[in-house]
Amino acid sequence: MTIDTTFWAATIIFLIAYAVIISEKVHKTVVALFGAGLILILKILEQHEAFHVEELGIDWNVIFLLISMMLIINLMRPTGVFEYIAIKSAKWGKGDPFRVLIIFAIVTAVLSAFLDNVTTVLLITPVTILIADALEVDPIPYLLSCAFASNIGGTATLIGDPPNIMIASKAQLNFMDFIYHLAPIIVVIMVFYIFAIRFIWGKKLVTKEELKKRIMAMNENEAIKDPAMLKKSLFVLAIVLTGFIFHGVLHFQPATVALFGAGLLLLLSKTNEPHHVLAEVEWPTIFFFMGLFIIVGGVVKVGLIKWMSLQVLALTEGNLFATSMVVMWFSAFASAIVDNIPYVATMNPLIVDMAKQLWPNETGLQLLQHPDLMPLWWSLALGACLGGNGSAIGASANVIVVGLSEKAGKRISFGKFMLYGMPIMIMTVVISTIYVWLRYYVLKI
Amino acid sequence: MKAKDLMVLLKEYLRPGYNLKKAANILKTSRKGERRIGVKGLPVINTTGKMIGFLSIGDILKSVFPSYMSLMNLGDFTWNGMVEDIAKKVGRLKVSDVMTKNVISVNEDAPLMECIDHMIKNNVKKLPVISKKGRVVGMLYERDIFFAITEAMGNKRKRGKK
Repeated sequence: MTIDTTFWAATIIFLIAYAVIISEKVHKTVVALFGAGLILILKILEQHEAFHVEELGIDWNVIFLLISMMLIINLMRPTGVFEYIAIKSAKWGKGDPFRVLIIFAIVTAVLSAFLDNVTTVLLITPVTILIADALEVDPIPYLLSCAFASNIGGTATLIGDPPNIMIASKAQLNFMDFIYHLAPIIVVIMVFYIFAIRFIWGKKLVTKEELKKRIMAMNENEAIKDPAMLKKSLFVLAIVLTGFIFHGVLHFQPATVALFGAGLLLLLSKTNEPHHVLAEVEWPTIFFFMGLFIIVGGVVKVGLIKWMSLQVLALTEGNLFATSMVVMWFSAFASAIVDNIPYVATMNPLIVDMAKQLWPNETGLQLLQHPDLMPLWWSLALGACLGGNGSAIGASANVIVVGLSEKAGKRISFGKFMLYGMPIMIMTVVISTIYVWLRYYVLKI
Repeated sequence: MKAKDLMVLLKEYLRPGYNLKKAANILKTSRKGERRIGVKGLPVINTTGKMIGFLSIGDILKSVFPSYMSLMNLGDFTWNGMVEDIAKKVGRLKVSDVMTKNVISVNEDAPLMECIDHMIKNNVKKLPVISKKGRVVGMLYERDIFFAITEAMGNKRKRGKK
């Protein structure tokens, strides 16, 4: 490895970009795009490396998977299906404040497993505040629980949370790998989580009988505004989910499945003005990803990531159990402070590099999915996703919930979020630690 | 014809520190021209006489409308008494919390077409009219412009003001 001016230029751009992203002085998308521009103009990466080389540049699999899923959701939203699900859930809880809290947590977790967390939170939170208002109870438990449950639920699948999308793409893992390795522990974590919220809020949420009638009087069928489009959406969703389940066997990348679904639903919607649906894609997030991939590509090319991976291996003396524990706990605390997207964007090549040090003779899938490397990927996913609960800025979903609560006149301070979020994060990561240790190092299954 | 030729002279206004209960009562009983029939909005003037906002009936409707309601289609899932409960709380808010801060206004010498341009492009039905000294002196209503137009068409003036 040669340490030259290019090395320092890339490293400085990387460090300053991350510092500014954490400080939130400049919008993260602006930072990422400007950083990417610098990486290119200083020729740290050639343009073709940034745009067309898989190991160094933009991961188009991630980009198109995100865009396609956003398009599908944007097309589904106006049908009213999400309002329907939320009102139905509240009625299922018979208007009892604590039962409703639990049911919302489960519904949020399940939705988050299949939609991205921000979307889920945007779809569930408004209804939870409405229900809390109807029952005349404090909406804050509902808001916090919505954020926590979405971060937990999102960990369960490949498409649930951006870190998983990125990890899947890097390690060539498929949808069923995540279902097999992460979903079981997330179910266990959800059970513990429900006991935890029962302990925290169980006795505090009480309402009057007559207020429950407000909930029971709501007719969820009124939510469905466009039954024809709803049928089409559910049809496409079924195809997409089937596609995800079999994409590994059929040798499709997840983005292929999602893009096909988005294209099909656009066609079926018979819209002649896709402008509106396309405009609602969260372009700032998409461009944030693109910029980050280029910045990280820069530090991969100059060798910074390789140097970092050597340091980690030196620290853990090549012991893979120790390494996966360091990865999980460091990821959890790092994700509580930094956005987990740039964090995972950096960790992904770092883990690949560690694998190259450990098994220099392996390449391709044998390297990326080396049996001894797999627990590291799962530790990264669990740490980075669950770590998001640690603070109000740990995950985009939290930022949204805090923002909405402020608008509703029920401000959740940074400290208050952490007071509940940090113990939840530690509890879930402890459970994950036991799981990884037991499953991959003791039982080895 | 200019803004000042059609405007209704302003006799009342609101202060930013009034609470909404008081402000709403002023709107309800305010004069429009010669009659005490209530108005749909009034300028908010600070102690130096400068207009710093405008409070309309629409702003008061928005004040009882929870922000989360605008994020999803939840209108079907509300209950009787919801508005009244919120209204009791927002009565204590200050005018400055609820008023529209970016007010579309016209100078008193603005030609009528300029006034129509503001109304159409900003989707407002009334414009505060500002004097050369920078004070709000009157209100120009969509209705009065409409009367001016019908008169220009050759119809008889319906109600005289001048």
